[in-house]
Amino acid sequence: MLKMTHLSKVYRTEVVETYALRDFNIDVKEGEFVAVMGPSGSGKTTFLTIAGLLESFTGGEYLLDGADVSGLGDNARSKIRNEKIGFVFQSFNLIPDLNVHDNVEVPLRYRGMKSAERQQRIKESLERVGLASRMKHYPAELSGGQQQRVAIARALAGSPRLLLADEPTGNLDTQMARGVMELLEEIHREGATIVMVTHDPELAARAQRSVHIIDGQAVDIAEEPRFHAQPRRVEVAAEGGAG
Amino acid sequence: MQIQPILAALRQHKAGTVLIALQIALTLAIVCNALFIIHQRVTHLSEPTGIDEANLFVIGNQWADQSSAQQVDAQMQADLATLRQLPAVRDATASNSYPLVGGGWDDFITMTPDQVQKTTDASVYFGDTHFLDTLGLKLIAGRNFRPDEVAPMSPHEVVTPPVVIVTRALADKLYPDGSALGKSFYAMSATPTTIIGIVARLQRSEVDTWSRPYAYQALIWPRRLDGTVGTNYIVRAKPGQLEAAMREAKQGLIAQNRMRIIDPKDGVLSFAQVRHRAYDSDRGTAILMGIICAVLLVITGAGIIGLTSFWVGQRRKQIGIRRALGATQRDILHYFQTENLLIAGAGVALGAILAVGLNLWMMKQLAMDRMSLLYVLAGVVVLLLLGQGAVFAPALRASRVSPVEATRTV
Repeated sequence: MLKMTHLSKVYRTEVVETYALRDFNIDVKEGEFVAVMGPSGSGKTTFLTIAGLLESFTGGEYLLDGADVSGLGDNARSKIRNEKIGFVFQSFNLIPDLNVHDNVEVPLRYRGMKSAERQQRIKESLERVGLASRMKHYPAELSGGQQQRVAIARALAGSPRLLLADEPTGNLDTQMARGVMELLEEIHREGATIVMVTHDPELAARAQRSVHIIDGQAVDIAEEPRFHAQPRRVEVAAEGGAG
Repeated sequence: MQIQPILAALRQHKAGTVLIALQIALTLAIVCNALFIIHQRVTHLSEPTGIDEANLFVIGNQWADQSSAQQVDAQMQADLATLRQLPAVRDATASNSYPLVGGGWDDFITMTPDQVQKTTDASVYFGDTHFLDTLGLKLIAGRNFRPDEVAPMSPHEVVTPPVVIVTRALADKLYPDGSALGKSFYAMSATPTTIIGIVARLQRSEVDTWSRPYAYQALIWPRRLDGTVGTNYIVRAKPGQLEAAMREAKQGLIAQNRMRIIDPKDGVLSFAQVRHRAYDSDRGTAILMGIICAVLLVITGAGIIGLTSFWVGQRRKQIGIRRALGATQRDILHYFQTENLLIAGAGVALGAILAVGLNLWMMKQLAMDRMSLLYVLAGVVVLLLLGQGAVFAPALRASRVSPVEATRTV
C-alpha cells in the first residue's frame, strides 16, 4: 500500500543541509494498522507529510498503492490526496467558518462528486462517528473529541485507501482519546489501512506494528498481535528493510 | 462551483464583507454618475455651433469718450465699413452677443399674446444684413433681412420687430409640421413677429446647464444694438487668413478712430479661444470628475487587495487544509475569485440602485439629465473587472500555499 525505499528528505539553506529523513525504508501492507513513533525532531511528521503527498522528497522511491509518485505534478498529487488518502490531524484542522456538514463535504466537492452522492456520504460518515445530529454545528460549538470525530468523518467520507493520522489523540483528554482510538480500531477492522504517528506507547501498542523513526531512519519494532507494548523484533529498516 | 460554502464562510466575516461591498456600491454609484457627467461635458465641448468657427474672430470694443447713441451708431457703421474693406476679411457685423460667449439675451416664446406658460425659450441675437454671411450661417428657407428692415434699437426698448430669422430647431419646436416659414409668434410682447428665414443651426450664447434643452433655439432680430457702452464686432476672415485678419482688424479700427479701447490681452479673440474659454469650467469639471473616479477606483481596488491579503494571511492554515484535502492550486485561486465575485456582485447590485437614485436626485436638485442605464452597466463591468483584477495577486499567493501548512500547529 505504502512503500518507501531509500527515501531522503533534505532541507537546504545557504550554509547547511539538514537530513530530515535519510535512507528511509518502510513498507505498509494493505489493511495494516501501523504506529510510527519517535522522539521530537526524529522525522515523524516529515514522514507523514511525504506519505500524504503534502510535501515532496529529495531522493529515493515512494510507491503508493503500487504507483510511483516521485515525479507527479501538483494537480496529480492533489487528486491522489483527494481520492486515496484521508488525513486526521492532531489539531483536528476543521475549517472554523464551515459547519460540520460543510466541513465533511470539502474533499467531496474537490472530487467533483454530485450533490446527491455527497449528501449520502456525509450522512453515512457522520452517522458512523455518531455526530449525524450535529451537522449544523460549527467546530467551535463542539468538544475536542467531537471535533476529532468530525475530522475522522471527513477523512472517511471519501473512502480513502490510506488513513494517515498525526497524533490523533494528542489534543484530547483520556476519555475522549479512548473514544477516538476505538473508532480508529473499528475503522481498521473494517479493512482500512492506517498509519498513525504518535508519541504515546500505549496507543502505539494498539496498532499491529510499530515503526520507530530515529534520526530520520525507520526502525521496525514489532509485528505482533495487538495490545503488546513490548517490542519482539528490532530491525534497522535502512539495513534490513521493514519487516 | 462552491458558492454555498463560500457564502457560509462569508457569513462568518460579515464586517469585512459588508464594508467592501458597501465600498464597491458607493464607488459604482459615484463613478457611474461621474462618467455620465464627464461624457456630457466632453460631448458638450465639441458640439458644433453652426458658425464658421475656423475663420471667425470677435473684437470687444469699448468707447473712450461719451457720445450719443446716434454718434455711436454712425461710428459703428464706419467701423464695419472699415473692417469689410480689409484684404484678409470676408465680412463683418456687430451684435449684442455671439455663440458661447456666456450670458446674453433670452426671450420666452409664446404662440398667442395672452399665453401664460411659455411655449419655449430662445436666445436673441441682433444682426444686420451681413449677420448671416459673417457667421457663415446656412439659410435653409426664406430670405435674409432687407436693409430697410434693419433699425437701431436700445436694449431697454421692448418693441418686437415685425420680422425674424430663426434656427431650424426653434422653427421645428414652434411648428413641428415644418410650416414655420411665414408664420408668427410672440416674444415677450403683444405684437407678433413673422418668420421670414430659417437657418440650419446657430447655437445660443449661453453654455449653462439650464439652457441645454434649448441649445440650438435662437432667433435673429434685424436690429443694430445701441452700442454706447461698447459692442462686439464679429469678423469673418477669408479662408486661411485668420491671423492676418485679426492683426489688420485691430490696426484698421484704431486707424479709423483712436477713441476706443480694445483690451490688448483679450480684446481680439479667435473663435477657438472663445470656445476654449466657454468650456473652461466643463473641462475642469470633467478633469475633476475623472480624478475622483480614478481615486475611488484605486481606493476600492486597494481595499479589495488589502482585505483579500488579510484574509489570505488569516486563512493560511485553512488553505493548507483545503490543499491537503485535495484542492488544486486552481481550486484555491477560483475560491478567492468566486468569493470576490460574490462580494462585488452584491456591491454592484446595491451600487446600481444607488447610482440610479443619485442620478434621480441630481435630476431633481441640479437639473441634470437622466443617465442612460448603459453607464450603470459599464460601471458594473468595470467594478467587477476591478474586483477580479485586485483579487488576482492575493488569490495567486493563496494558491501557492503549500498543503504542508495543514500540519503546522500554529
